[in-house]
Amino acid sequence: MTEQEIVEITNKVFEESFEIEREKLTPDAHIFTDLGLDSLDIVDLVVALQKSFGVMIRNEEKVRDIRTLQDIYNFISAIKKEETAKK
Amino acid sequence: MNLKRVVITGAGVISPLGNEVHSFIEGLETGKSAVRYMEEWRGYTGMRSHVAAPAELKDERKIPRQSRRSMGRMSIFAVQASEQAIADSGITPADMSSGRTGCIIGSTMGSAKSINDVFETMLPAKDLSNLSSSMFFQCMAHTAAANVAQYLGLTGYIMASAAACASSLQAVGTAYDLIRLGRQDIFLCGGAEELHPTVTGSFDILYATSVKYNQTPQKTPRPFDKDRDGLVCGEGSGILVLEEYEHAVCRNAKIYAEITGYSTCGSGSHMSQSDKQSMIHCMNETLHCAQITPGQIDYISAHATGTQQGDTEEAAAIREVFGGSAPVSSLKGYIGHTLGASGAIELIASLIMMKKGLIYPTLNLTEVGSDCRGIKHVTELTPKKINTFLKNCFAFGGINASLICRKMEAIND
Repeated sequence: MTEQEIVEITNKVFEESFEIEREKLTPDAHIFTDLGLDSLDIVDLVVALQKSFGVMIRNEEKVRDIRTLQDIYNFISAIKKEETAKK
Repeated sequence: MNLKRVVITGAGVISPLGNEVHSFIEGLETGKSAVRYMEEWRGYTGMRSHVAAPAELKDERKIPRQSRRSMGRMSIFAVQASEQAIADSGITPADMSSGRTGCIIGSTMGSAKSINDVFETMLPAKDLSNLSSSMFFQCMAHTAAANVAQYLGLTGYIMASAAACASSLQAVGTAYDLIRLGRQDIFLCGGAEELHPTVTGSFDILYATSVKYNQTPQKTPRPFDKDRDGLVCGEGSGILVLEEYEHAVCRNAKIYAEITGYSTCGSGSHMSQSDKQSMIHCMNETLHCAQITPGQIDYISAHATGTQQGDTEEAAAIREVFGGSAPVSSLKGYIGHTLGASGAIELIASLIMMKKGLIYPTLNLTEVGSDCRGIKHVTELTPKKINTFLKNCFAFGGINASLICRKMEAIND
């Protein structure tokens, strides 16, 4: 999976699950202060990312460190690289 | 104790005939049936009834996402009906956040579709990982009341009555009691319910649904008719604004009617079979509460769902209390049985009948069943001055509820 595919799939989650306009989805957008997500939304974000990327991240401690969209791109990218390395 | 007087100052409806009071009433007045064939239910093995009266879910995106995410279909109906009722009553945001405005909204259970979705997500692999954050808030028994209260910023008493088909009349009756006691000044109250094959299925397995009219859906249900064969499920929400009389007068509010009597009781006899004696007791207690005699009731909005046994018992109970003195009709033929919402939706229709001096007849009642005779059935649109009416709801669990409303201008007659 390319970095660009990760960005597109993640942004699609924000458009479809959280009804956020595409123009607001910049890498430095803060998911709480800029995009308006709250604590309940984080639960749904995890579920949506799991479904979209076929990964299991519910118990990943690093989820708590996510603040921006770029953090999500990096987080998913790292998990995908780990998966590839294991194979 | 000096009890307060309680009046109705607002109403809102989402119904199978339309998503506001006006279209709902227009449908009743023109004799429309909202019952249709449910093709998609044919996929359920064992489901014999393929008819229902759906409402239209629309404009839900007007509710902001973070409020909407905790709402199943029924809570969206309840919020939309509540917004109508508030606009109709003219109560203000200051009223709603005063701590003196409460909310009681009943339903049989939480959102049926959401409950189904949770189990479909969780059970195949016994895996909770993909459950979303808000599913519980859609499934909980007080979902409609909680969602309405959160969305509108209500800070008074927030409660949910869960008594199946008597839920919303119990909600209105409890609001009436709490305002009478001086606990609150205003209540948003009523009920909400949503269609789902599991809901109709729960009646179907008890042989309580209509099964003979799948190809002619608009001929069923048939309350009190000799050819009735069961109920048809509907959905929607009915919400009323109840208000302490002086509070309403002080702000020059429009008043639909005064609630003068309410009672609820259990049959203590059977979980699903209606019971004439307890129905009689409930109606008599309501008359006693209102301090009037049976002869002073000008109209009875019957529960009558079109089941064999339920209609027989209700007709017998009305016959014993009222004889043939009070005109009786059931609205289930138009909108099906909206279950936990039915009491409030049909109460609103009765308030409009009172205002217009017109009784909407029992749709599909072409020949009264021999067991339902001896009461004054209304089978055509009938002009009638209504000063006082009685609304009945009788539910699974052996729960009865009745409520009496009186026209304001008749109060001092």
